[in-house]
Amino acid sequence: MRSILRAALLAAACTFAVSAAHAQDPVRIGVINPTKSLVGKQGQQGAVVAAEMINADGGILGGRKIELVSYDTNFLPNEGVAATQRLINQDKIRFITGEISSTVALAVLQLAQANGALFMAAVPKHPAVTSGYDRVFRLNSTTAMDAKDFDAFLVEKIKPTKVAVIAENSDFGRLTIAGLKKLFGDKIVAAETYEMTQNDFNTIVTKVKGSGADVVCLAGSNMEQYGNILRVAAELKLTAKRCVMPGILNSEGVRIAGPAADGAFSADIYVTSLDNPLNKRFVEAYKAKYNELPEKIEVLGFESVWIVAKAMDKAKDATDPGKVAKTIHDNSWETPRGTVTFEKNGQAVAGPLINLEVVQGKLVPAKQ
Amino acid sequence: MFDILLQQIANGLSVGMGYALVALGLTLIFGVLHVINFSHGETFMIGGLLTLIATTTLGLPYLVALPLAGLGGAVLGLAINWISVRPLLPRRDGAADVLLATFAVSILIHQAVIMLWGPTPARIDGVPGAFEIGPVVLTGQRLFVLAAGLALLVALEWMLRRTRFGVELRAVAQSQFAARVVGINVDRVNGVTFGIAAVVAALGGALLSPVILYSASMGQVVIIKAFVVVVIGGMGSITGAVACGLLVGLLEAVLGLFAGEGIATAIIYSLLLAMLLFRPQGLTGKRAR
Repeated sequence: MRSILRAALLAAACTFAVSAAHAQDPVRIGVINPTKSLVGKQGQQGAVVAAEMINADGGILGGRKIELVSYDTNFLPNEGVAATQRLINQDKIRFITGEISSTVALAVLQLAQANGALFMAAVPKHPAVTSGYDRVFRLNSTTAMDAKDFDAFLVEKIKPTKVAVIAENSDFGRLTIAGLKKLFGDKIVAAETYEMTQNDFNTIVTKVKGSGADVVCLAGSNMEQYGNILRVAAELKLTAKRCVMPGILNSEGVRIAGPAADGAFSADIYVTSLDNPLNKRFVEAYKAKYNELPEKIEVLGFESVWIVAKAMDKAKDATDPGKVAKTIHDNSWETPRGTVTFEKNGQAVAGPLINLEVVQGKLVPAKQ
Repeated sequence: MFDILLQQIANGLSVGMGYALVALGLTLIFGVLHVINFSHGETFMIGGLLTLIATTTLGLPYLVALPLAGLGGAVLGLAINWISVRPLLPRRDGAADVLLATFAVSILIHQAVIMLWGPTPARIDGVPGAFEIGPVVLTGQRLFVLAAGLALLVALEWMLRRTRFGVELRAVAQSQFAARVVGINVDRVNGVTFGIAAVVAALGGALLSPVILYSASMGQVVIIKAFVVVVIGGMGSITGAVACGLLVGLLEAVLGLFAGEGIATAIIYSLLLAMLLFRPQGLTGKRAR
C-alpha cells in the first residue's frame, strides 16, 4: 500500500515536473518578412508587438510564452524559400506568418504545402495566394474586394462627370485602369501610365489637367511616386478631386506629398483611430515600443501572429498545423480592426472598407 | 491644346536640364580620362541625401545646403578616384577595370546608404513659389534648376577655355602621353577632373531632389538616361551633353503628349541605337579637346 502510494506520489510529482517544464517551454512561431525594406520592417514590428501582448497576458496553452523565429526574405522568392526551409527543417516550425510580397508568398506556399505547414500570409494581395490549400490564410484584402466597396462609393457619393486615371505600369495599375474603364465607360477622359522608376510627373499631370477631368484616380503602390504626383498636381494647380485607389495611401505618402495631399481621399481596411479596446491597446503598445503610430501593414503583421497564437490556444495544440487551421476556419477572431473571419479558401473578411481623407496633413476617416 | 503644348515644352526643358546636369560630369570624365564612371549616379544621390540631411536634420536653408552638397560631392569624387580609378587606369585594360570598379563602388554606396540612412524616400523643400507665364506654370525650383544648369554650363566652358587648368585638361584629353611630355601633371588633372565632375553630379542631385524627391535609388534611375544623353550628344562634349539633355527632355514631353509615354521612350532609345550605328561621334561631332 505504502509503496503504491509512494509510486503514485512519484508519478504525480513527475507529471507536475513535466507539465511545469512544458509550461515554460515557449511556443515558437515563424515570421518571414523583407525586413530590410520599410514595409517589411513595419510588418515585422507588428508581429513583435503581437507576441509581446500575448506574453504580457500570460502566454497561451496554460502559460507558455510565444517566441518568434524571424527571417528576412528580401523581396526575393528564392530567399523566401530558403527562409521557409530553415524554419521547417532546422527550427522544426510548421507555423509560418508574415510576408509582404505576393511572388515570395506564392513560392513559400508551395513549400508550406509540401510540408503540411500552416501559412498565415499578412500582406500579399495576389488572388492565387488563396487557391486550393486548406492551411493557407491571407489577411489583406484583394484588389477585387477593395474595388467592390470603393466603386460603389465613387459612383454614388463622388459622382464624377469626367474621370482621369494615373496608374503605374504594373499588373495592379493596368487592372485598375481596366476596372475603372468598365465602371465609368465614356466618362474616362484620360488613362496615363508611368514606369515604376519614373520620378518626374509634370508631363502626365499636364495631360490630365488638359483632359478636363473632375476626378483623378491614382493607382500606384510606391508612395514616393503617388506622393510626388499629388505634389505636382498642386504645383500645376490641378483643381480636380484627387482619389487614391484603396489600400495604398498611408501617412508616409501623405508626409512626402506635404500640404499638397490635403483633400485627397481613399479607403482602406484599417485606420489607426478605430475605436475598440483591442485597437487602443495595440496602438498604445506599438507607440510605446517604436515611437510611431501603426497603420495597415503593422496591423496585418500583428494579426498574422495574433490569430495563429489565439487559434493554438483555442485548439489546445501548438504542434498540429491541420488542427490549428481548422480552428481558424471554424471561429471568428477579435483583432484591432474588428472581428475577422475566414472564407473557405482562407481569405480574411472583416467589415466594409473605411473611407479616408487627408485633412491638414493627417489621414483620417472621411466625414461622409 | 496649344496651352498644353507650351506647358509640355516648359516641362520638357526643365526635365531635360536634369538629364543634362547628370550627363555633364559623365561626359567630362569620359572626355578626359576615357573611362565610364558607373558611380556617377550614386554621387548624384549623395548630393540629394546631403541636401536632405542639411535641410531637415540640421535645419539649414536650402540655398546653404546646396554648396554643402557640392563640397560633399567633391570629397566623395576625390575618394572614388583615389580608390577605384587611379590605381587601375595605368593597367593594360584599365578602362574596362575602371568601369567594373566604379560599378562595385556604386553598389557599395547604394547599400551603405540604405543600411545607415534607411530606404525611406523623403521630400525636400527647395525654392518656393510658382510662376505663371500665360497658361504655363513653372515652379520656382524648376526655374532655379534651369538657371543653375545654364550657369554651370557657362562656368565649365569658361574654365575649359580661359583658365590654365582648362588648357591642361584639354591637353590631357587629347593625349595623356604628349601632356606628360610637356610637363603636365596628368594624375593631378585626372583627379581634379574627377572632383569637378563629382561636384556637378552632387549639385545636380541637390538641385533635382526637390523636384523628383530624394530616394536611395534616384541615382540608378537617372544614370541610364544620362548615358543616353552622353551617347547622343557625343561622348566628351559638354555643350553636346547639355543640348542633348534638353532635347531628350523635350522629345519625351512633346512626343508623350501626342503618342503616349511608351512610344516616346521607344523613339528615344531607337535614336540612341541609330546614333551608335550611323553617327558614333554623337550629334555635336567633336570632343572637348
